[in-house]
Amino acid sequence: MDEKTSNHGAEWAWLRFILLPILLSSIFQSSSAAAEDAVAHFEAKIRPVLIERCIECHGAEKQKGGLRLDSREGWMKGGDSGATIVPGEVEKSVLIKALRYTDVDLKMPPEKKGGKLSAREVADFEAWVKAGAHDPRVVAAKIGGMNAADAKTWWAFQPIAEPPVPMPKDIDRFISARLEGAGLETAPLAERRTLIRRATYDLTGLPPTPEEVEAFVGDAAPDAFAKVVERLLASPRYGEKWGRHWLDVARYADTAGENTDRPLPHIWRYRNWVFEAFNRDLPFDEFVRLQLAGDVLRAGESGAAHAEGIVATGYLAVARRFGHDSDKDVHLMHEDVIDNVGKAFLGLSIACARCHDHKFDPVTAQDYYALYGMFASSRFSFPGCEAKGQPRDLATMLTPAEVVTFKKTWSDRLAQSEPRLKEITAQAQPVRTQLKQDMTAAKRVLAAAKVGEGGSVTFGEGEKLALDRIAVRQGEILQLVVDPRASHGEDSTLVEWEITELGGAARRWSLRDLLPTLLAGNPAADSPWCFLDMKDGPAFLGEKVEAMEGRAELQSWRSGAAPLVFVNTSDQPVAVWTSLPPRSFFVHPGPQGAVAVAWVSPGDCEIAVAGCVADAHPGGGDGVAFSLEHIAAAGGGPALAGLGALAREESEIIRVRDAEAGPEPVAPVAFAVVEAVPVNVRLHLRGDPEKPGEEVPRRWLSIFGGEAVPPGAGSGRRELADWIVRSPLSTRVMVNRIWQGHFGHGLVRTPNDFGSRGERPTHPELLEWLCARFEKDGRSIKALHRLIMASAAYQRANTVSEMAATRDVDNRLLSHFTRRRLTAEELRDSLLAAGGNLDLTPGEAHPFPPEKTWSFTQHTPFNALYDDTKRTAYQMVQRQRSHPFLTLFDGADPNTSTAERHLTTVPTQALYFLNDPFFHAQAARLAASLTALPDDAARLRRAFRTALQREPADDEQTWAADFLKSYPGTPEEKWAACSRVLLTGNEFIHVE
Amino acid sequence: MNDCTTCSRRHFLRSAVAGSALFSGILQQLMADDGDPLAAHAPHFPAKAKRVIFLFMTGGVSHIDSFDPKPALIRDHGKELKLDHPEIKDRPGFEHIYLKRPQWEFAAHGQSGTEVSTLFPHMAKCVDDLALIRSMHTSHSNHYNATLGMHTGSFTQSRPSIGAWTSYGLGSSNRNLPSFVVLAPAQTYAGTQVYASDFLPGAHQGTLVVPGATPVANVAPCIPADRQALELAALRSLDERHLAAHQRDGLLAARLHSFETAFGMQMAVPEVFDFSRENDATLADYRLQRGQTTGFGWQCLAARRLAERGVRFIELIDTGSSGNWDAHGDMLTHEPLAKNVDQPIAALLRDLKQRGMLEDTLVVWTTEFGRTPFNNTADAKGREHHPWAFSSWFAGAGVKPGIVHGATDEHGLRAVENPVHVHDFHATILHLLGFDHERLTYRHAGRDYRLTDVEGRVIREVLS
Repeated sequence: MDEKTSNHGAEWAWLRFILLPILLSSIFQSSSAAAEDAVAHFEAKIRPVLIERCIECHGAEKQKGGLRLDSREGWMKGGDSGATIVPGEVEKSVLIKALRYTDVDLKMPPEKKGGKLSAREVADFEAWVKAGAHDPRVVAAKIGGMNAADAKTWWAFQPIAEPPVPMPKDIDRFISARLEGAGLETAPLAERRTLIRRATYDLTGLPPTPEEVEAFVGDAAPDAFAKVVERLLASPRYGEKWGRHWLDVARYADTAGENTDRPLPHIWRYRNWVFEAFNRDLPFDEFVRLQLAGDVLRAGESGAAHAEGIVATGYLAVARRFGHDSDKDVHLMHEDVIDNVGKAFLGLSIACARCHDHKFDPVTAQDYYALYGMFASSRFSFPGCEAKGQPRDLATMLTPAEVVTFKKTWSDRLAQSEPRLKEITAQAQPVRTQLKQDMTAAKRVLAAAKVGEGGSVTFGEGEKLALDRIAVRQGEILQLVVDPRASHGEDSTLVEWEITELGGAARRWSLRDLLPTLLAGNPAADSPWCFLDMKDGPAFLGEKVEAMEGRAELQSWRSGAAPLVFVNTSDQPVAVWTSLPPRSFFVHPGPQGAVAVAWVSPGDCEIAVAGCVADAHPGGGDGVAFSLEHIAAAGGGPALAGLGALAREESEIIRVRDAEAGPEPVAPVAFAVVEAVPVNVRLHLRGDPEKPGEEVPRRWLSIFGGEAVPPGAGSGRRELADWIVRSPLSTRVMVNRIWQGHFGHGLVRTPNDFGSRGERPTHPELLEWLCARFEKDGRSIKALHRLIMASAAYQRANTVSEMAATRDVDNRLLSHFTRRRLTAEELRDSLLAAGGNLDLTPGEAHPFPPEKTWSFTQHTPFNALYDDTKRTAYQMVQRQRSHPFLTLFDGADPNTSTAERHLTTVPTQALYFLNDPFFHAQAARLAASLTALPDDAARLRRAFRTALQREPADDEQTWAADFLKSYPGTPEEKWAACSRVLLTGNEFIHVE
Repeated sequence: MNDCTTCSRRHFLRSAVAGSALFSGILQQLMADDGDPLAAHAPHFPAKAKRVIFLFMTGGVSHIDSFDPKPALIRDHGKELKLDHPEIKDRPGFEHIYLKRPQWEFAAHGQSGTEVSTLFPHMAKCVDDLALIRSMHTSHSNHYNATLGMHTGSFTQSRPSIGAWTSYGLGSSNRNLPSFVVLAPAQTYAGTQVYASDFLPGAHQGTLVVPGATPVANVAPCIPADRQALELAALRSLDERHLAAHQRDGLLAARLHSFETAFGMQMAVPEVFDFSRENDATLADYRLQRGQTTGFGWQCLAARRLAERGVRFIELIDTGSSGNWDAHGDMLTHEPLAKNVDQPIAALLRDLKQRGMLEDTLVVWTTEFGRTPFNNTADAKGREHHPWAFSSWFAGAGVKPGIVHGATDEHGLRAVENPVHVHDFHATILHLLGFDHERLTYRHAGRDYRLTDVEGRVIREVLS
């Protein structure tokens, strides 16, 4: 908050009680200069009223109507309705109008806040405005919610301090200095079993094996512990543990969180990439860059390096999605992205500036929209949503050249058929043109009508020319054209049509006859019927569908999704998108074009026609129109036959080609972010995307210089990544997280907030020194682990001295090691390890249903629980449905960045240990492994070594013997009970 | 449970503290400090309501067919309307919309003469106990968002549920039961988020009870009670030995303590859901067969029993995210849903009243939004989502009985008189519990959050 304005209250109180009488008695009554009068008038009559009656709603805390009255600038800028005061112009000043209560819509102060000012007070304001509205209150220069001067000197924004000379060798000098200052003694170093258990859980999230404990306890070498640390850092389990720390921060989830909570297809690749990046100690700056702009940075690479760049941007793509149509709520996704980028990399709550400048930190709304533009210039993989069923924009992990190679066999086979297919198109073109002309010039409309929603119209009802006696010559065409455009839209349409020869052989042709033979061909040999796409046609419906919707009784010819003709060959109605009547023939026009059924006369004859057209899919307010036409041109039939022959050849070529080439190979894809068209966005006034404000160029945060994204640079994500890794904040925030991963708390205990609301570091010099070392070591995270774990501070026992217990309750000064409970992941993994059935194979894709089947809605959202015995870090986590185990034991929140796991101790957790089937099964597995051993002493030893990584003490052997003796049942039951007790105990569930 | 008489929770407690006088002292001292998120707290100011029973009807109950009579809608049936409504904007087939009359008759009831339709004949008899609000409105027309908003005050992001806020504010008065219980046969819209604690401590999250044979997970002991008691005694002895070396760690003791509560819950929870001692008349009132463990009647009776045992916030959700009040296709689907809840809710109100519990229990009935007084044809059988207006009611502690607050316009389109937004609704519930909704806050991510965001006004007119 601004000091000058915040002090007004106090300033005024002082004036009122001390200065005011003097002002009133002397200055006001004297005839001194006008300026002095103005000062006095403002101080005596205006400022007090503003403070008492206006600033509560129009000051630093609230800005109702966008207006501030706590500075001259505030009322000059005005609110949503423009300038509030026009100095010297009483009648033009909105403020005066509001105070006078003459406008029904604008009365200030409002009734509920005490109502109208007294007439005297209103007169004072009028006089003040008339005299030029003198107002000495100025606002100090600000960036967002901080005075600019304070922001520039804020500790966390300063360059990382040069390390002192001579450079301290280790962490403990910094720790000891503060402990000595506080008069606190340090705990002794932890015993070896405790230490290796601590180190193994910290680096891998798993307990050490009994053999590993034994080896370390028996290793007298001075570097024994350093060797343990090296072994653990080299284990693939390390990346799973530390990668999971990062996934907490990155709010990783396997579903989108929008109304249907759709799975995020392929996002597991990002999860595994994070694990793998930690395992190979990818330098932290590269880790940051790849997540923000890997697609750009690795655009020129190929193979694994290229694919990695795509996959890493899963960090951005994993953003939570919102709403029914997530495209419409995309501003909320961008908010989630900006929020996470700010917290994860910079320890700043940038997203607070979505609706207005940050209240406490130097971040402006312009800053927010400058970053927003970068993400709006990027294409995010889209998981689908209720309004838009299937995923789209998944990013291929191959380069364009690799895609070509990947598809070569397939595309070569396609290319083989291409010349003849082109020829066919060329040959068909003139025939089609002639036919089109005939169909216009020689067309006789026999019948035409519109068919309303759910309606049915006979040919007779739409009769234009006589239908009971039509003379046709051989080769002439009769066609029924069903058109969507005359009404609302495309629809399934039932058609009946019979043609009867008058005299002659009295032949009859009926569409019903086609029911069993529809698939014989279009046109089938020796059949007068054919089915045509009239959009740019006539063109034959060339695709044969043997079982629509998987129903063998529904057969069809179509061209793409529509238009089509189809039949229900069954004796029963078939319930699909609607209930289709039995033994019927249907046509279905396309969205932009008609479909036609054509009949070519086999000779010169006279015929009668009858039939009807019915809307077979009521609902939705649509309907169709039809036109029954006689094309009285003898060349029509032969032309159509020629086209038909070409169509038959074409479909045969395609059939053979597709059978040989197989389906188009699908290149591996990731759920990721790639570049799109660069755009700047407009500020959303008060965060409302419907209220666009000024355009904001894409640039870096103003507090750090506000450097612009250069023209031609693309979205600016690459630049953003560079600015972030160059910022001292990104180093400080990450170094603090790594410290936190070892000690339970960071040196800064608000790991996602290094702004003005965050805590200051407990050991500022240590933090600076660690940051300097980190940068010097090429931002190697493993090097930092080595440095920290070599310290006495890390290796101390968790014995709390009397003095520490009273003077440093939170152990901020690190006189001892702070015990921590196992995380949800560590607990489940340890239970699996104790049961001997932990599957260490890395998890890959979850068994989600196939993407093309996704029809999740808010009524029937995606909901699944996949359980296996892999490490918990690989379990599927949903955003909308909390995972029962992870939630019970305080796992990360997949909806927002989890900086620290806040642990709860609740009875439902205890119930888990008392009665959960999985827990009981694991204890039984441990017990089963014991019963094979020769005697109870050996069994107890193995049980303790497996569960607690130590030997039982003498009194514990007595305890166990008593327990086994008193517990009823078989030996298996006794040992299962003993295993349950060990796996429930506080020692098992805590890291000492 | 009968074989548990010799190993009651008291027995366990006694044996748990008998081991060491020192330990018992530590335990008491530790449990008193702030390590216990469920310790009972006084609210900001004295209040009548000690607990809430929150009845949530999933899918959007039609106000104009239930609690909000609109004669003009009958008169103007079939008239075309022009509206900028979120559910018809850019929607094919909805170029024209027409007013549609209610499907049920309304009549005045009780001394207050409040009109209720024949959809809810039993609730109609309770009108003299209700403060009916006919001017509710909300900020979103999607189920997901409106349901999230009605539960958390946030229409997009996950935030703590109103039940979690209540638990956070008041703590627990019965440590053998959770402070916030949700009884629901299926997940409603937005899933578990509607009863999540979100950033509040996890102890405040709603415990889900699914009607049926095993309503709460892991409550049924899976080994005989005497064996479990032996294991717990062994655990105590093992943990005490461990604790002796780490006497100053409150969390270790708290965890040991949580086993006592869990042990108690194994009996307390089944006892709550064991209706065998309820008499036939009570069961019949709630429309329950003896031995029945499903249905809204079961949920309502369980709610009374949870309330008796000191649970702070009890939410009853009637159906899941499909097959609910979302009557797009046919308003008549309201009938069976109404039948499912009507008599049990009336029975619950009467039962609470008879036992004197309505004095200190606030009962809330609501849905996520109303339904449109129009459709794209006047003869359409269903109604669409309508966030502009709906009806809700309060009854019980601190509530002015037999009143109607607020009104919609003549067609039930907009809340025009004393409109009550969801935030105001929440502010009023917190007020009835003794909280200033602007002061019940939690510091998270550098900012103080509250249930009502930056809005909310207590509806003074419904307070007694």
